[in-house]
Amino acid sequence: METTSFLPLLILISSLVPGIMILLLREEQFAMRTFLNLFGAVAKVALVGWVFAGYLSGEEYNFIFRLAPDLTFALRLDALGLFFAALSSALWLITTLYAIGYLEGGLHRNRFFAFFSLCVTASTGIALSGNVITFFIFYEFLTLSTYPLVVHKGTDEAVAAGRTYLWYTIGGGTILFLGVVGLYAVAGPIYFGQTEIIASLISEYPTQLTILFFLVLAGLGVKAAIFPLHGWLPVSMVAPAPVSALLHAVAVVKAGAFGIVRLVYDVYGIGVAEEMNFLSVLAVFAAFTIIYGSVRALYQNDFKKRLAYSTVSQISYIALGVAIPGALTSTGAIVHLVHQGLMKITMFFAAGNVAETYGHKKISELNGIGRRMPLTMGAFTIAAFGMIGVPPVAGFISKWYLGLGAVEAGSYWVVLVFLASSALNAAYFLPIVYRAWFCEPDHEVVERLRSGRLETQALLLIPVVVTGILSLTSGLFAAVTGSPLSIAREIIEKFYLL
Amino acid sequence: MIWFLTIVLPLLAAFFAVFLPAGRRGSGFILAGAALPALWLGLVEVSGVTAPWFLMESHFSLDTPRRIILLLTAILWATAGLFSGSYLKDDARRGEFSFYFGLTMAGNFGLLISADVASFYTFFALMTFASYGLVIHSRTPSARRAANIYLVMAIIGELFLITALYLAVESAGSMLLADIPPALAESPDGPFIFLLGLIGFGVKVGAIPLYFWLPLAHPAAPAPASAVLSGAMIKAGLVGWMHLAPVGLVEWTFLSLLMVSLGFTAVFGAAIYGLTQVDPKANLAYSSISQMGVMTVLLGIGLYGDIPPELLLPAIALYAFNHGTAKALLFMGTALPAKVGGAWRILMWVGLGLGVLSIAGGPLTGGLWTKSLVKTFLGETSLPGAQTFMLLLKLSAVTTALLLSRFLHLLYRIKAPSGNVAPAFFLPWVLLLLAGGWWTMSPGLLPGELLSHISGAKGIMDFFMNLQKNWTAFWTISIGVIIMAFTLKFTHLNVWPTKKPSLPPGDFIHLILFAGAAVAKPLRKGISLLESGIQSIPGPEKIFYIISDSKRTSRISSAAEALLRRWEFVGIGFFIFFLILFLVLR
Repeated sequence: METTSFLPLLILISSLVPGIMILLLREEQFAMRTFLNLFGAVAKVALVGWVFAGYLSGEEYNFIFRLAPDLTFALRLDALGLFFAALSSALWLITTLYAIGYLEGGLHRNRFFAFFSLCVTASTGIALSGNVITFFIFYEFLTLSTYPLVVHKGTDEAVAAGRTYLWYTIGGGTILFLGVVGLYAVAGPIYFGQTEIIASLISEYPTQLTILFFLVLAGLGVKAAIFPLHGWLPVSMVAPAPVSALLHAVAVVKAGAFGIVRLVYDVYGIGVAEEMNFLSVLAVFAAFTIIYGSVRALYQNDFKKRLAYSTVSQISYIALGVAIPGALTSTGAIVHLVHQGLMKITMFFAAGNVAETYGHKKISELNGIGRRMPLTMGAFTIAAFGMIGVPPVAGFISKWYLGLGAVEAGSYWVVLVFLASSALNAAYFLPIVYRAWFCEPDHEVVERLRSGRLETQALLLIPVVVTGILSLTSGLFAAVTGSPLSIAREIIEKFYLL
Repeated sequence: MIWFLTIVLPLLAAFFAVFLPAGRRGSGFILAGAALPALWLGLVEVSGVTAPWFLMESHFSLDTPRRIILLLTAILWATAGLFSGSYLKDDARRGEFSFYFGLTMAGNFGLLISADVASFYTFFALMTFASYGLVIHSRTPSARRAANIYLVMAIIGELFLITALYLAVESAGSMLLADIPPALAESPDGPFIFLLGLIGFGVKVGAIPLYFWLPLAHPAAPAPASAVLSGAMIKAGLVGWMHLAPVGLVEWTFLSLLMVSLGFTAVFGAAIYGLTQVDPKANLAYSSISQMGVMTVLLGIGLYGDIPPELLLPAIALYAFNHGTAKALLFMGTALPAKVGGAWRILMWVGLGLGVLSIAGGPLTGGLWTKSLVKTFLGETSLPGAQTFMLLLKLSAVTTALLLSRFLHLLYRIKAPSGNVAPAFFLPWVLLLLAGGWWTMSPGLLPGELLSHISGAKGIMDFFMNLQKNWTAFWTISIGVIIMAFTLKFTHLNVWPTKKPSLPPGDFIHLILFAGAAVAKPLRKGISLLESGIQSIPGPEKIFYIISDSKRTSRISSAAEALLRRWEFVGIGFFIFFLILFLVLR
């Protein structure tokens, strides 16, 4: 390829190296660990911002490393990848702050923060991957680096959850591996964006390429928690709140969803995927998952578990958006990558804050919590309305594009799915909002003695407020250049050559 | 700038209510001041603006009908704001009230000045959800129930609405509200899309059959909030209808007749049912449903296509203006009889009487005028059955007068305080009375074309000279009042309840809830049976859990291990493996 740039590599190193260095620290070296964490996080945001600016002004950044003949490790930046990288690096920074506040005084902090950094390295790696092989490497790396985070608490429940998590993800990884190898055998090395390769082979190998599409899709579907491969997600919410936040908003489920976007748009191409009816299969599964996840969420009394099932449902919005051909739905899908991340991370932060400050983990215990934690629950309320699709929160923008696109494509049943999902979202989020703001506490709550006037520690409060505000502003100012929507529209213009 | 202030000031007022020191929260002057930019926009014509940075590129502008409604809305929010400042002075939750009051106000103004779908829908939703906080304000069980029924209905409405908007925007190919009616007129799906919108906005309007939350929710809120709910916010649904309706562009006979007949059902049904109520606010809520029925009739005529929209739509807005000011006057008036005494009481009764008269369309009020507008259009349209509808409209004055004289009687029964006393909130009430009376004399507000069309004369005074033409209005109202007086005078004829409503407010909701409860129990049982059934089947999740069960897997793997430790087995295994490898590679 043309010029080699080490910037993409540097983006990975900015979290990889701090991660490894943290492993070498002693447990009580709090200041050093925090410095490394924040240095890495800030450096990554700065680098991604720098590269993004460069990309927009027409620069190209590629890093190629030959692993074996015909097998290259390639980092290549395109708009979609940068979009995802920007999301992960920005939310990682916020989550790092949160995690420092959350785990202060906990056990195994070195292990936690080390794998936390590795996990983000993996997800930025996925974002920056230039070809299928590189993507696969980081995808598996992600699986392995998140396992220690899921089992972090070390309780029986956590270990059991970790085991389930591994079974699902390793299983998914194996299937993905078969798919990737198969693709290599049939089509050779495929760089993302070279959709002409599959397009030229599809008439020659229709069966093989169909099987391979679904193998890869199944492998990705595990992480994207598409029914029936979603079982690991609600179980692994036993992880600490910052991990759940990261898992649900940026890292794991998003990696799966992002992979599906890549598979359809950059490997097979929309034309082929539509022609071969791959998309209608995906649409059916995604639509079913949306409804199924929401229905399951209704029954959960555990706060985080309800949020987890909601993720199952919301992530499939992205898959469904990809599966309905058309510029509007695609824009909705890609912008939902970011919007869902912002809203869901807000919700997990809020759940974590409530559990950390008052020990409430059940929804039935949340009566009157809004009065005691107004900022936390205020942010949660914004995010909840966003999930329902109430304007002007970010979720409305995604839903608007998805719904309008479905109408445009003539897929009226998809509109019905979105409507049902909105109704269900309202049915399981609004009771939380109602309890928080309009119910009196069941019993006299012993006010925790706190120094200062904040409702909880500053490091727990600031992230939730920031992401809450971002969820609101990315909807409110969606038309501004640089908003997630405007970037998503640019990405889509490229795919559809508008 | 003024456009943004219209929205931003109420939002700021809402946040002041949270962040100001406790003693200063909920100041009536802050709330009223927040409505001033909207008042300005209602009075002075300002050219529209575009905000390319807001939502998906927003446009703000006003046309004549919406300007009239904005003026109404601003007057109501300003006076209700002032009113609430002193009315809720001793309320522990007044800060919270002001917060939701400000948010709802921002939504209500915003949706009126929005000219594109996204901002309209945004502010509509803001108003809908923020007013939940107003309805539930008292936190009594009945307020909670009313608020939750309201919320469920509102969400159902929003779902219909968003569907209608998706379809409308898709067929218009534009986000501008002004492009929608022509597109619906062209599109073969136009009537269907309009029907969805009819349902979606119908919840807010309190249209039959979606109205039953309204007699519960409007009375549940504190008096000033009821006033804006029933006077201003209810009109937001009407504005929504007007945005979608291709008035003068189509001849949708079916939808036109549907709206007209639903409208008349509301006019009579709600007025008669309202008579069974003993809570004056429930009485007024039914009166609102009844009056919105008249506006539904008017818009229904518009769908037949033989009335030009530039006449019909401002006429609807004027009707809404009159009803809104009068209804808010009466709603806030329910707080007065227990507090106002002596000479002030005369003013109070004059005001309440004028309000009632205006809604019924009595002489010397704006109501006479707006009602004669309806008659004019009913006289001009060739809609099948127009003659019958005209008769029905005239008859409706009887039922309205009956209902509202009953309202006055309910207030009359409240014991007056001794001495010349009037609470501080009497002043904003008088201001509203003046504002409501003022417009009937002011031709400046009105599009001249409309004026000459209805009066056949050039000036407003000429119109009032022709009062004898509208004398019928007087005697129909008199019939209603006389019937009420008669039944009250002769107690053995007195059919009106005094302590408990003879039928519960919210009418059909009770049937729905009853049926719901009857269905829900077996349904829930069925679902839980189904669930336990499903859970006993090893689904894909279950299989994974079984595999990942450590005891079982370790047993299997240790058995396998033990097998592998036996060398003859390993040897045979290797042999087979190489044999296969050889055969494959050969």
